[in-house]
Amino acid sequence: MENRSFIQRLIGRSEFGPLVLLVIELVVFWGINPDFLSAQNISNILAFTVELGLIALAMTLLMTSGEFDLSVGSLFGFSPVLMWTLYNSGVTSLEVGLLIALVVAAVIGLVNGWFVTQLKIPSFLVTLGMLLVVRGTALFVTDGFPQRTWSAEGSWLANILVGDFYVGPFRIYASLFWFIGAAIVLGYVLTQSRTGNWIQAAGGNPLAARARGVNVNRVKVGLFILSAVMASLAGVISSLRTSAANPNSGTGYELEVIAMVVIGGTALTGGRGTIIGTVLGILILRVMRNGIVLIGVPGLAYNIFIGAIILGMMALHSWLERRHQAGT
Amino acid sequence: MAEPLIRMENIRKSYGRVQALVDANFHVNEREIVGLLGDNGAGKSTLIKVLSGAVPLTSGDIFIRGKKVTLRSTSDAIAHGIETIYQDSALVTQLSIARNLFLGREPIKPPRFLNRMDQEAMNSVARDLLRQVGITKNIPPTTPIGSLSGGERQAVAIARAMHFDSDLIILDEPTNNLGVAETQGVLSFVRSARDSGHSCIFIAHNIHHVFQVVDRIVVMRRGKVVADDIDPKKTTVAEVERVITGMSDKEIRDAIADGPQQHG
Repeated sequence: MENRSFIQRLIGRSEFGPLVLLVIELVVFWGINPDFLSAQNISNILAFTVELGLIALAMTLLMTSGEFDLSVGSLFGFSPVLMWTLYNSGVTSLEVGLLIALVVAAVIGLVNGWFVTQLKIPSFLVTLGMLLVVRGTALFVTDGFPQRTWSAEGSWLANILVGDFYVGPFRIYASLFWFIGAAIVLGYVLTQSRTGNWIQAAGGNPLAARARGVNVNRVKVGLFILSAVMASLAGVISSLRTSAANPNSGTGYELEVIAMVVIGGTALTGGRGTIIGTVLGILILRVMRNGIVLIGVPGLAYNIFIGAIILGMMALHSWLERRHQAGT
Repeated sequence: MAEPLIRMENIRKSYGRVQALVDANFHVNEREIVGLLGDNGAGKSTLIKVLSGAVPLTSGDIFIRGKKVTLRSTSDAIAHGIETIYQDSALVTQLSIARNLFLGREPIKPPRFLNRMDQEAMNSVARDLLRQVGITKNIPPTTPIGSLSGGERQAVAIARAMHFDSDLIILDEPTNNLGVAETQGVLSFVRSARDSGHSCIFIAHNIHHVFQVVDRIVVMRRGKVVADDIDPKKTTVAEVERVITGMSDKEIRDAIADGPQQHG
């Protein structure tokens, strides 16, 4: 078993399938339209990718622990609305508004976690309910209209979160570094830290984990909070970048994020997760969305491709899993 | 006589009107393998669940080396040195052997605030432990539990209990669904656990397996311990079967001749 070659080990990894798919996507789109790999297009893809990506990274850990969160899309819309409402009404500065939005998100995550772990209600139902509560609140307080946004240019907060600069022809946003930082930290937590071992055990066999003294409930509640805070941060970053705070923004993101995570190789049933896979999953879906428009396929056909990718990747992961279990 | 490692006195456990345990008395001595036998519904599983902290007792006392203890949860029992190994529920199949062995007690590399597991130390201890319980096959400690056979999984669970100095290892049906060679492997792991100073309770439907490994046999019937000092070297399987069923030889022969019957 120890003598497997590098190639065999590479193929055996759950990230191998997504990597191949991403490379195929890049080659096909570039082959059909060379502008696909232009500096401007790459900059465009990266700008929005990292915002959804931040949510997907946190969702990877949550799903590894055997739960998922459908309320992230509504928080993505709600948090900037809350921040801008506080700022526009003169109650707080923008920075304090952000802090309050993050704290409110953390409380929402805590409530999600409490319902799931203490009342033993499946996370699907709890977070579906929370999705409606949060989205409903955002629509109610704004009467369904976008919030007036102040041009954030020059603010240190905006510079830290979404400030942009050019590296050669590439326009890079500061949020890219937040994403890379979050991926490194969460990847480390999942694979190297003791907490990561508990997260995987909580999703793989919660009874065994509890019997070993792991506080499974605390792990899960912590991850619900992380997921909510990351969704809130992603919403604020997106709002600052586009100077818009629409109470409807983020609709449907929850499913797209879950799709990114499972395409990357994290098990929907918990116990196994990969941050590298999720980064690949994020790129696969964002490149697909961008690429099909660029090669002239109608944007409305996007979901057909995403659905096909999800089904194809699930079949591949299931095959690899069976092959692995059989010890071949 | 020396104080036993575990002593359970007048244990009662009721589920509503159903009396699962009726004044059961049970003990395990130091460095002893006890075979716990009984028909379905005799109360073995309930007795073990009480001892492993999985269910609370209705009344009665549990003593460890003469000291009265209260076991409120499985982690409570583990803290008191009692480890229960169920065939499929003790390990996390997605995690590696080493990560399972240290789950909940992972060694941390300095600096501590990084919370980083010392994976080299974990792997090296895991390698030694696998050798100690008699796994001679070259299985890397980074192998996920999901790729191991049933017998190897039992070995990992036993190795874990040995490493963390559990005084008592309870094995619930450890030889179920295992092949002949694997069963022999598990039995030898149990012997090595005893030889290194641990006590074991061995529960199995297959009496022949119990006979091969235990020092003493305890039989339960209808929630009570009906025999607690049967020496497997001085008795026969048929004799023990009679104690389990509470039937005479003739009654057993008649029951077999009549074919299977519905029991309530």
